[in-house]
Amino acid sequence: MYPSLNSNKMFFYFILFLSTLISISSNSWLGCWVGLEINLLSFIPLISNTNNMMSSEASLKYFLTQSIASINFLFFILLKLMWMKNFMLNNSISILINSSLLMKMGSTPFHFWFPNIIEGLSWFNSFILMSWQKIAPMILLSYYFYSKFIIIIIIMNSIIGAIGGLNQSSLRKIMAFSSINNLSWMLASLLISENLWIFYFMMYSFLIMILCLLFNSMNLFYINQLFFFNMNYGIKFLFLINFLSLGGLPPFLGFYSKWIIINFLIFNNFPMVCFFLIMMSLIILFFYIRIIYSSFLFNNLNLKWISIKLKNKQLFFYTLSSLISIFGIIFSTFFFM
Amino acid sequence: MMKFLVMMIFLIPLCFFYNMFWMVQMVIFFMAFMYMCLNMNLGIYSNLSYMFSCDMLSYGLILLTFWICVLMIMASEGLYSSGFYTNFFLINLIFLMVMLFLTFSVMNLFMFYLFFEISLIPTLLMIIGWGYQPERIQAGLYLLFYTLFVSLPLLMGIFYLYDLMGFIMMYFMKFFFFDSYLLYFCMVMAFLVKMPMYFVHMWLPKAHVEAPVSGSMILAGIMLKMGGYGLMRVMVLIQGIGLKLNIIWISISLLGGFYISLKCFVKLILSLLLLTSSVAHMSMVIGGIMTMNYWGYLGSYVLMIGHGLCSSGMFCLAYLNYERLGSRSLFIYLGMMSFLPSMSLWWFLLISSYMASPPSLNLMGEMSLIYWLVSWSWVSMFMLMMISFLSIGYWLYLYSYTQNGLYYLGVYWFYSGVSREYLLLILHWLPLNVMVVKMDILMIMF
Repeated sequence: MYPSLNSNKMFFYFILFLSTLISISSNSWLGCWVGLEINLLSFIPLISNTNNMMSSEASLKYFLTQSIASINFLFFILLKLMWMKNFMLNNSISILINSSLLMKMGSTPFHFWFPNIIEGLSWFNSFILMSWQKIAPMILLSYYFYSKFIIIIIIMNSIIGAIGGLNQSSLRKIMAFSSINNLSWMLASLLISENLWIFYFMMYSFLIMILCLLFNSMNLFYINQLFFFNMNYGIKFLFLINFLSLGGLPPFLGFYSKWIIINFLIFNNFPMVCFFLIMMSLIILFFYIRIIYSSFLFNNLNLKWISIKLKNKQLFFYTLSSLISIFGIIFSTFFFM
Repeated sequence: MMKFLVMMIFLIPLCFFYNMFWMVQMVIFFMAFMYMCLNMNLGIYSNLSYMFSCDMLSYGLILLTFWICVLMIMASEGLYSSGFYTNFFLINLIFLMVMLFLTFSVMNLFMFYLFFEISLIPTLLMIIGWGYQPERIQAGLYLLFYTLFVSLPLLMGIFYLYDLMGFIMMYFMKFFFFDSYLLYFCMVMAFLVKMPMYFVHMWLPKAHVEAPVSGSMILAGIMLKMGGYGLMRVMVLIQGIGLKLNIIWISISLLGGFYISLKCFVKLILSLLLLTSSVAHMSMVIGGIMTMNYWGYLGSYVLMIGHGLCSSGMFCLAYLNYERLGSRSLFIYLGMMSFLPSMSLWWFLLISSYMASPPSLNLMGEMSLIYWLVSWSWVSMFMLMMISFLSIGYWLYLYSYTQNGLYYLGVYWFYSGVSREYLLLILHWLPLNVMVVKMDILMIMF
């Protein structure tokens, strides 16, 4: 559940969080670039592990893709600096800058590294990659984007995220594709306002956090493991709640964020984007439900010799956060009454 | 309205205690009677509290919800005696009941949508969790995705309305007039799938056959009526375009009702036959709502209540035979009159109510529906005639097939009906036939 507590890693986590803050709070594009670069370099020691082939490969791939994106970003901001006067907008430049940022966050036309890399990460690191690492590129994107381009990207993201995850059996890949799909919701909220983005991002990170920590504490990496394990029904139920919540079904917290986004998309006249998003979220829901079959079915095959027990402290934490996930929508609607 | 909500919520802790199965049932029963005795002015929205209120449509359906939930607990005594996640079953059921109550009593269209969707989850859990066969997975997926596929556009439609009107209170909808095709389809399709209309009914056979008895009771009893309730509510908004386009749904459902009544004759599984027939009955309800007439509207409403009680009772009967014989095939279930003569009376009574024989709500509903559908267009006479005739046909066929003749020789042991089961059946049949004497609470709306 917890990240490893050696001081080396702690230092890099610190740098990781700080560099994002540098990036999103700097005044110039160059400062943003510096922040992104520090962020990249501090994440690599966190994911590389000399004992694990997969994670060192992942760190290499991560370095390559991210540095290409950073170089492009640097190149395009300098191009913008040279060619354009202050406050002059040029759509082709904005497309180029946006593309490099989209590559940074693993958005669709440049998403191929994302599921590959996440396959070699631990659950905690994939949580970081799916949540925190998205902040800096998305905030930078919100400064300067070409909305028609972003709309195309949103639709592509939602489709690719939904179709890509359909036939996967690895939980990490499924989460990666669902993250690509959720990226489209985040980009859609970015079209409207940053507050909305923060709202959606917080909700998404919360749900992802519960799931990643839950998978981490049980060492689950593939779908079939869910069926082998002999779990207490209460723990299985946590999966059910959180996945349905992430899929955006009504009684759960995940619906709340989607509801607000749909509401604002309709208010701001993006019905087509909204339609794509909700239809693709159905497909996403389909492969979430594949994961939670084992918790839906009371009588299913269990191997008796693999038994899972959670520590009380962990179980308490997961139950509490799942309770928030169930009742969050009820309590949060009180704010609007 | 709030007091019932609070009462239901505080019923949840009761489920955790040991041996509280019948206690929970009794409390819901008591609540149903309290609700019945509530003094309401049903012509308009009354009993307003916060965003909940109740008019005639809501009143009958909420009462039906309470009643069916009581009978669901009573019917699933098997879960109690075998201890198969009993507490969780009760919690799930109460959660479902709360959500249905809220669905029927909220005034805000978005809140209606929200609770409409929420009630899907406990139903899904009930089907997949307590079902019998492995096919229940597929059934659950059909249920979930058929309904979600059309209800998400409904969500978009609701927000679009919210954008245009600035509020989405159901009461004020009659002051607005929208004339957009897309909006019309968005608003109507979700409820038509829920009803279900003929072409989009495929989720129903799957879900019903795999559901446990309580699941199919709530599905046939309440969930189908949620579609009708929603249609009645939103039809106010889209009257103008409805005048042009409602003919599509009426013709599809009347033709489909005829076709599916024919299909009833070849069904070999009892519960499959029951739900196929409920598609046929629901097609008349759709027709009645879509004519947008006073009598058609109220006839649909009465038929919904009648069908809710009646079909739920039939599913109980089907389950009682499943419990005894371990099979739902009609080949096994023969000559029951020699085993269960008094149960045979209940078969007769429920089937006759289903066939719309005189003292039942179904008769009242079908009479006004037929009257208004024919007055809407005389062409619908043919299909209505065929639907009514065939419905009597397959119910008679079912009755004579299961009750008369020689019993199945492979039956080694049998136990006769216990009083709980007879009570269960009479509680289905009695309101169905007694409510007729006070018809004005269901038939006079404005």
